[in-house]
Formats: sequence, C-alpha cells, structure tokens
Amino acid sequence: MTRIEFMQGNTACAEGALAAGCRFFGGYPITPSTEIAEHMARRLPKVGGTFIQMEDEIAGIASVIGASWTGTRSMTATSGPGFSLMMENIGYAAMTETPCVIVNIQRGGPSTGQPTMAAQGDMLQCRFGSHGDYSIIALSPASVQEMYDLTVKAFNLADRFRVPVFVMSDEVIGHMRERIEIPETVPIVPRNGLEQGVLPFAAGEDKIPGFPEFGRGFGVHVTGLTHDERGYPEATDPKIHAGLVGRLVAKVEDARHEIADYSVTSEGAEIVFITYGPTTRTVRQLLHDRPEAGIGHLQLRIVWPFPEKVLQAFPKARAFIVPEMNLGQIAREIQRHTCVPVVSVPKLGGELHTPDELAAVLEGLL
Amino acid sequence: MKLVIDERRCKGCNICTMVCPYRIFREGDRLNDRGVVVPRLDRPERCTNCRLQGLYGRRLCGVCQMICPDQAIRWEEEKPYEPHRVVIEF
Amino acid sequence: MSADDWFRTDRLPHIYCTGCGNGTIINCTLEAVDAMGWNKNDTVFISGIGCSSRAPGYIVTDSLHTTHGRALAFATGVKLANPRLHIVVFTGDGDLAAIGGNHFIHACRRNVDMTVVCMNNMIYGMTGGQGSPCTPVGALSTTTPYGMGEPVFDLAELAVTAGANYVARWTSYHVTELTRAIQTGLETPGFSFIEAMVQCPTAYGRRNKLRQVSDMITYLKTHALLMQKKKRMEEEGEPIPPEMFAVGEFTRRSRPALGVPK
Repeated sequence: MTRIEFMQGNTACAEGALAAGCRFFGGYPITPSTEIAEHMARRLPKVGGTFIQMEDEIAGIASVIGASWTGTRSMTATSGPGFSLMMENIGYAAMTETPCVIVNIQRGGPSTGQPTMAAQGDMLQCRFGSHGDYSIIALSPASVQEMYDLTVKAFNLADRFRVPVFVMSDEVIGHMRERIEIPETVPIVPRNGLEQGVLPFAAGEDKIPGFPEFGRGFGVHVTGLTHDERGYPEATDPKIHAGLVGRLVAKVEDARHEIADYSVTSEGAEIVFITYGPTTRTVRQLLHDRPEAGIGHLQLRIVWPFPEKVLQAFPKARAFIVPEMNLGQIAREIQRHTCVPVVSVPKLGGELHTPDELAAVLEGLL
Repeated sequence: MKLVIDERRCKGCNICTMVCPYRIFREGDRLNDRGVVVPRLDRPERCTNCRLQGLYGRRLCGVCQMICPDQAIRWEEEKPYEPHRVVIEF
Repeated sequence: MSADDWFRTDRLPHIYCTGCGNGTIINCTLEAVDAMGWNKNDTVFISGIGCSSRAPGYIVTDSLHTTHGRALAFATGVKLANPRLHIVVFTGDGDLAAIGGNHFIHACRRNVDMTVVCMNNMIYGMTGGQGSPCTPVGALSTTTPYGMGEPVFDLAELAVTAGANYVARWTSYHVTELTRAIQTGLETPGFSFIEAMVQCPTAYGRRNKLRQVSDMITYLKTHALLMQKKKRMEEEGEPIPPEMFAVGEFTRRSRPALGVPK
C-alpha cells in the first residue's frame, strides 16, 4: 500500500535507493549530502546491506565500484569538493562499464564555496569531469517525490546501460521537507548477466555487454586500460581504442530519446521556460501566478544524455528562457541544438530564482 | 621427471644460474630465434626433484621454478621412463 | 592443481623486463594460494597501477586492475559486499606508500580480511625510474639525480603500527620463506601485509651500479637483516647499518577484523 510521509529530500533519496535494492553504500561525510549517508548507516545493516564510511571520497567511489562488481547495487553520495575528488574513478567506472549511482547534492563552488547553499554548478562536470571521451546519465529531481523516484530510476538505468548514473540534486531539494508518496513496490530492472561462452566485453546490437559478476566463475579481467573484448589490455591498438570508446559513448547517446524523461506544459507557447532541478519550482509558481501569459514549460528530469528532440515539442517557440543556478551551463547545450534564441537566466549565490525575477525576464520578451 | 626450460617464455635473466644448489643451470652461449640467450642445462638428471619427486610424492627444492620470474622452468614426465646414471658431486 | 594452473597461459610471457622480480612474487603468491586449496571462482586479485599491478592480468581468476593507489579501497568494497570472496591485492611501493598511503593505513586500521602483497622495487618502474618513498637514501633516480635526500618509508613497520593482523617482509631471493609468509597471511583472518623486496635491474639497478640481475639479487641478499638477528643486535647495543632492512615476521595477532565470513 502506498504510504504518505513527510520527509526530507536526502532521506527520500536514501529510501529510494533502499527500495531499489541498494545494498552497499561507501561514502564520506560532506555538507549538504551527509543525511543520505546517515540514513543509510542506520538502515542498511537492518536490510542485510553494508554501510562503510571510507577515508575520503576517492575511496568512497572506489569501494562502490568494487562492491558493484560483486553484483550488489551500490551507491555513494557527495557534494562539490568530494565530487571533484571522485572524478578519476568515475572515468574508471565508465571505462570498465561498472553500474553505480552517485548522488551529488550540489553546493556553491568552486572549491569549498558555499557548503550550506544550493547551486547547479556541477552539471558540466558530471558530464565531462573525467578525462577522455565517455558518456554518462544524469538525472535532476525537482521535488522530494522526484528525489525518491529518480533514485530508483537511476539504479535501473545504471544496471541497464552499465554506466555511472548521477542524481544531480542540490541543497534546496536535499534539505527540503515535503509530502511524499512511497509506493509499496518500485519497478526493478535487473542487470543482464553474461552468458556462458560469450567474451566478457563483447556487446550485441544494444552495445551493452552482459555483466560478468565476480565469484561466478567468469574469470574476467577488469582493467581501466583500453581492453579488447576478452578484457585483456590492448593499450596501443588504435582500432581497439576507437572501437571501445566509440561504443562506450554510443551505448548511452544512441538511447537518449528512448530514455528521455521530461514534462511539457503548453506546447503552443511562444515563450518557453526550460528547467531542471529546483528552478522548476519557481517556474511552476510563475505559471500559476500568470496563467494568462500562455507560457510554456519544459522540465527535464534526465539532463544527460541531452534529448535534443524535445525542443521540437514547442513548434511556435520564439524564445527559450533557461533559469539555472549557475552561469548557463545547460543553456549552452540547448543553444547547440536550436535556432530559437536562448535566454540564459543565471543566478549565483545559493538562492533560488524568485518568480518576480523570472517575470521581469518574461516582461522583457513579451 | 625431466627439467625443461621453456624457450618461449625465458628472457635470459640467468637468475636460475644463481640459485641451483647443483649448478645445473649454466649461462647459455647462443641467441635463440627470439634474441634471448637461454641458459643451458648441465647434466639435469642430477636435479633432486627429477630424481626424488616420485619417491616422496611432493615437489622437492623447486627453488629454480619458484624464482624464475618468467615461469619458464618446469618438470615434465618422461615417457617412456629412462633410467639415468646419476653422479653426485660432494 | 598447481600454481601453474592459475596463470592465463595465453598472456605469457608477461611484460616485465628481463630479471624483474615481480614474476617471482607472482609465483610465490600463486603457490601459496594454491596451497590454501581455494577455488578459482571465489578468489579475486585486485591491483592499482604500476609494474606490480599488472600481475592480476596474468591470473585466470576474476581480477580488478584499478586506478593508481586505490586498489585497497576497491578491495574493501569487493570484500564487504561479498565476504565469501577471497581477496589478494598486488601493489607496489609507489602505488601503496605514495598515492595510496591513506588507503593503506585505513585498510590496516579497519583490518579488512584480505592479503596485500607489496612488490617493493624501491623505484617507479613503469614510468621509467623516478624516486619513490622507498628509494634508499643516496640512491639515484631520474627525479633524484643528486641522490635521494628523503628518508625511506618502512612499510612493514607502518602496517604494524596501523593495526594489520599479520605483517612480514622478505625478498624475491627468499622464495620459500616468502611463500610461507604469504600463506600465513592468507590463513590469517583480517588484514595481512607481506612486503616483498624485489630487484629492478632496468630502472633502479642501472642507475645505481647494480646493472646485472645478479648484482641486484646480491644486494637484496646482503641487505636483508633477519628479524631475530636484528633484535639480538639491538639487545647487544650493536649499531644496525641504516641501509639494511629487516626481514621476517613483524607481527601476528588477532585484532577484531572486518569482512570475515561468518
């Protein structure tokens, strides 16, 4: 039966993870994500899982990747500085195709920045932060309910695509308390196991190889070096490298429209707000306050891979307004895919845009 | 049992020539087709393991195999069994 | 079954230079693992980056070749998520003592049930011979062209202090003792640390008048000071030459361990 609760965003994230079958958490305390670790520390031992507080975030993500190879759904949660520390191993997870979930409760940066204030400044870092070409999936919740739902979804996507999946939330949603409906069961899409006799890194048409879990006799060699289909290092063969990295990117990018998760309001609108995460809430308020203006709204729940076809949902659009709590990181991505003028409304400092601020931008365009 | 050096694996480091108590391994003097000077065997039938493994039912000494960094030293069963005359030096 | 059965024979010969001691350490480790009677399906070899860390690639079991210095953090995750698996970590002096130092002391402190074999060749071999925290004082390397000026990290003593359950040090010359030490490590519940001093004629010996493999082995042989002898020398007030390193068993105890299957 569906339970209705009043819950904090970070707690909802942890509960979502547990419902999705997460049984390993390795992390390091950092404001404003600590509540996730605290909640997991309390709950995981009771459901037969493992919580471990590692010595730093590098070790946190490393332990998560290690745990994932035993077939356990694993996650870590962090914020800005810890996220930067994790970057090398995120690249490792992408290269070795390790499913894992990384929750980033974003705070003001760069460096230590504003530990207790919200931001969306890591949106490009989560996509491009590690060296080399790779692709990941990033989700962005706009409410406590979405925090729960998208965390569940993150685990399913990670297991399906064998990539690191990011829940790119922020201090606003993480520390907000709100009504949440907790369903009795959540949809769980398990990992495709490797079939006996198939090479461990040989992919079929979907470009996603089966997962050779440790301890099942596959004898798989997992390496961050460029490897062939057997998993053996082949670091100097240009063809193998191009094939491998091409596949790592394509397996996610080719599926971007299929997995796209968004909601569209007023398709016939001329002025359209595009949001992800907490700014969605400001725009909803604006839509509520000014129903007569005929404003359109697109909320992205999966930001990466960017599903550019959704922009065609607004055939009459003459401006896209993109409010973000950074200096226009996703506005630039939108600009890349459309001829419609894109108006970036950046806001730094840790506070959400107010409906009045967005109304002023709207006035300027009407 | 017969002592064998695998020429496909040996890199010619000559560590085996240092450790054998019978000095069975001697530095080689010619390059093989991989460009490696593989050590030669001097009366390998003197090897303790060759003589006594069957009797004791376990590996004896075996330091050359353990220390060979390239996994190039091993023992092979001889078929058919040929008796060797073994001269032990004191 | 013998140690030979644990090799991925299709990948041999391995990439190590002529005379490198790492191959010897793999032999000794596999010999010990084989003597334990472990199943290939539930044994996992984990490593970081460097010469030593290429080792798991030559072993038939599941293996994880991870990022530089982080092998112990990955291993902690694997072991805690599935305590049924036996974990052996291969690492080197640069991997473990420099970039992975923090993970090392914390893995010792947590006493996670695993065995760590550190191939200490006193140099960064894979990158061409730069000074490491274990390069002896005065030794030449590409980044210490006027001689190493920093003191050496004693990894075995560090592991003892940080709380490992079993700590030993031998060299690649002492194959029998090393194998026995590794096997004791595998048998001990909790964190076992075995430091194996190895020769690196290519990157270390070449710059330090130990160009021949035999010179480097002789160096290891003559600089190894047996633990019992060291203790006796200390009791008798005899000075211990600073370039010598102790070999033998450093500790064997049973502190509470993490990840031991129930």
